[in-house]
Amino acid sequence: MMLQPLWSVALLSVLAAPPQTQPSSSAGSTPTTVFADVVYTAAGEPLRGGSVTFSGGKILAIAPGAPPADGLRVSAITPGMIDLSARIAGMYTVEQEKEVQPGLRLADALDLFDPAWKRHLESGVTTVLASPPDWNVVGGIAVALKTGGPPSVRERALEIEAALRGSMGTQPSSGNSPAFGRPRDFFARRPTTRMGVEWEWRKACYDALAAQKDPARAFDGSEVLLRVLDGKLPVIVQAWATQDIRTAIFLKEEMAAQGKPGMRLILDAAAEAWREPELLVRSGASVVLPPFPAGGRTNDGAFMAWCVGRKLRDLGVPLALSSHGARSDATLDVQAAYARRGGLSLEEALEAVTIAPARMIGIQDRVGSIEVGKHADLVLWSGEPFELSSRVVGVILNGEWALDPRASAKASQ
Amino acid sequence: MDRSLLRTMNGTALALGLTLFAAGPAPAAQSGNVAIRAGKIITNTGEVIEDGTILVENGRITAIGKDVKVPLLVEVVDARKLVAFPGWVEAISNRGMDRANENIDVAAFLDVRDSIDPVNFYFEDALRAGVTTINVQQGSDCVIGGMGHVVKPLGMTVEAMSVVPRAGLVLSAAPRRGKSQATQAQALRRAFGDLRRYLEGIVQEKRDGKDLARREALYQGREPSEGEQPDKGVAMKGTAWKVQGMELVPRWELDEKQVPLLRMVEGDTPAFVYCSSPSEVSIAIEVARDNGFLQRTTFVVDAPCWKAADELAAAGRPVILDSNLVHVENHPVTGEEVRTFVPGVFHEKKVQFALRSQNASTQSLWYQAARCVAYGLDRQTAIDAATKVPAKILGLEQRVGTLEPGRDGNVLLYSGDPLSVTSFVEHVFIEGVHAYDRSKDVRIKHLQTGAQPENTSASEARPEDRTEAEKQGDEGEEEEKDG
Repeated sequence: MMLQPLWSVALLSVLAAPPQTQPSSSAGSTPTTVFADVVYTAAGEPLRGGSVTFSGGKILAIAPGAPPADGLRVSAITPGMIDLSARIAGMYTVEQEKEVQPGLRLADALDLFDPAWKRHLESGVTTVLASPPDWNVVGGIAVALKTGGPPSVRERALEIEAALRGSMGTQPSSGNSPAFGRPRDFFARRPTTRMGVEWEWRKACYDALAAQKDPARAFDGSEVLLRVLDGKLPVIVQAWATQDIRTAIFLKEEMAAQGKPGMRLILDAAAEAWREPELLVRSGASVVLPPFPAGGRTNDGAFMAWCVGRKLRDLGVPLALSSHGARSDATLDVQAAYARRGGLSLEEALEAVTIAPARMIGIQDRVGSIEVGKHADLVLWSGEPFELSSRVVGVILNGEWALDPRASAKASQ
Repeated sequence: MDRSLLRTMNGTALALGLTLFAAGPAPAAQSGNVAIRAGKIITNTGEVIEDGTILVENGRITAIGKDVKVPLLVEVVDARKLVAFPGWVEAISNRGMDRANENIDVAAFLDVRDSIDPVNFYFEDALRAGVTTINVQQGSDCVIGGMGHVVKPLGMTVEAMSVVPRAGLVLSAAPRRGKSQATQAQALRRAFGDLRRYLEGIVQEKRDGKDLARREALYQGREPSEGEQPDKGVAMKGTAWKVQGMELVPRWELDEKQVPLLRMVEGDTPAFVYCSSPSEVSIAIEVARDNGFLQRTTFVVDAPCWKAADELAAAGRPVILDSNLVHVENHPVTGEEVRTFVPGVFHEKKVQFALRSQNASTQSLWYQAARCVAYGLDRQTAIDAATKVPAKILGLEQRVGTLEPGRDGNVLLYSGDPLSVTSFVEHVFIEGVHAYDRSKDVRIKHLQTGAQPENTSASEARPEDRTEAEKQGDEGEEEEKDG
């Protein structure tokens, strides 16, 4: 039938020696070794000419040395990539009951059968932070999970409750109608301006503080907000433009003045983070960048200069890249390539899609770098990673082949 | 990196202030003399010259190599830290125009030269991406769209930009708005049927003695001029069908709306035929064959047309691919996504293919070539698809696509490997004229660093705040232009 691709997307040219031995598609106890010209570990210097061995889903060893004649060798190996702002279909349903929903958990509503998971996985993204959409001011609790594996959120999850998700700016208020005149529909109740969005945030935080003092004032999700204020749960806030970045940071500082200095703030889609980087340094917030726009213009009228990555790195602001639901040809590895075009080195770009996002949500003990004992989430490359002329040819998730370069090489023959 | 070119002049001290964006009049000279000494010259003929010189005289390359004798008065550009590469060639584009399409189905009489806007941002952006030859054509929302024009992105008038006028007619087998595939095919065939009936009719009038032109002249009270005398026509050329007796009709007497189509049937005009699905490819081939212009046809195909690669291979004609390199569809039974790398299929079937930019600033030709390498094409094939192959499609293989003596002096100076994401086009020379200098490009500085150009304010350029949904709504705006 015509659907059989003549040119399936993975190509064989990267394989110096096609394997003759074991199928090695199991996570069993037999260790598997993959060789590469360069192993980029995201934990120290890259290893030139070496291998990664894994077994039982964990990394066993990283060692220098050339492969045996029948060994699998690729151009480069990196850790599996992490996208803190992946937008996978199925996350688009909006809970309209309230604008502030700290109690909702996206983990309860994920569709693991959406083809987007496989697309992410095969593009080298092995872990995502799946967030509720940003049409609410506070959308709910985001879940950190692997992009493949058994079809159960509990088994795929790294953290069921990884971060609270919310939004500044115009998105939560857009589409809402003002309450004067004839109330047309339900949306008349929701904020219609940036001011309203900010007010909802502050009200939620102060209500949570009040609930702490007086249990009678507790509300649905107030304990989640308190965990955020106490720094026990990170909070990831969409803020494209400078004014929204400021609002998020001022909220954090206001809460510090109220005796809650611990808020772990992650600014998502902070396109204009380059404008006032000193403010970010002062606040200790982390930054997740949206996809690099060709002409610089992004949402909410924000302008993203391509040097943003370089600038934040130089000031020591924790920095991650994301695809933020971009078209399928603007995958995370392409964003890392663009970040290099904007001035990041390969290693810096690599950190921004692996260990840096892992640290932001506190899963760096398990994923984000190639180190002994960590999850065997690996990406195999046809050439130098984050070059447009290179691509992901293999993906290993939890020590299992999610995309096997040998299988796809065979299919295309 | 040292981005400022050190210029020396052998002998005199002429100042050369030729930058396209500098305030002031555009350069008058559209062909120049220059000697470019580059650290590396990728000639795109298989040869790589380390530390060589490209000599351009009167717009053409006259010498290239390690030891080139530079005449006394030719400016020498010292680019020993840069990589020289031929300009990219855009096989077809619907940009740089006022509008890409007319409202009428059959508009063969239109010419994009009336629509091309020399100061359109697209041409400025093309320089930034190193695209130095562009085939501007009508969009695909037509039956017969009109005449295209090959231009270079340099000059303030279409005449100054012109490389090849009347570069081919656009046809579309892809249903235009409001049409089905069947009505589109019918409209396409009918255009040629109408032409034939028109020609037969006018020949018949002559045979019947109704030499209307002569009577018209007499009615106007003047003697019929030489051209208005009857019996001055020429027989119809062409291989597919002919109307006998065309020698009775002077060509000037023909309706000018019909002439471009007649010239195509006579084999005088290249054709670019859009196809959006594989089944339209058969229709396109059939119409081209039945009307005698198949041998001058290039098929402009969307991604799903990889399924018609065998047919296109049998037709023996080149294709221009969609900017979307990977075709994605869902398996009808399992729902699994099936992804096909389109250029790979055409390469395997030995169909000559040219790549196409999405637009100048996103997924331009260098990007497309690099992605092709990522998906497994060999590097030279990928580069050829954005240089030599489009040059051949446009009949410009003796002028652009490589750096060789005799070719146009279209030279890019890259900061590194032309396909690397970390490389930039630092300078562009078009026919020896210095057309672009990145160090003076305020827009790229703005994009890269956020630096606001002098005498502008941020709010001026800022679009109204829009919601994400509105944003998503016109996300496809850019691509839809040709739709």
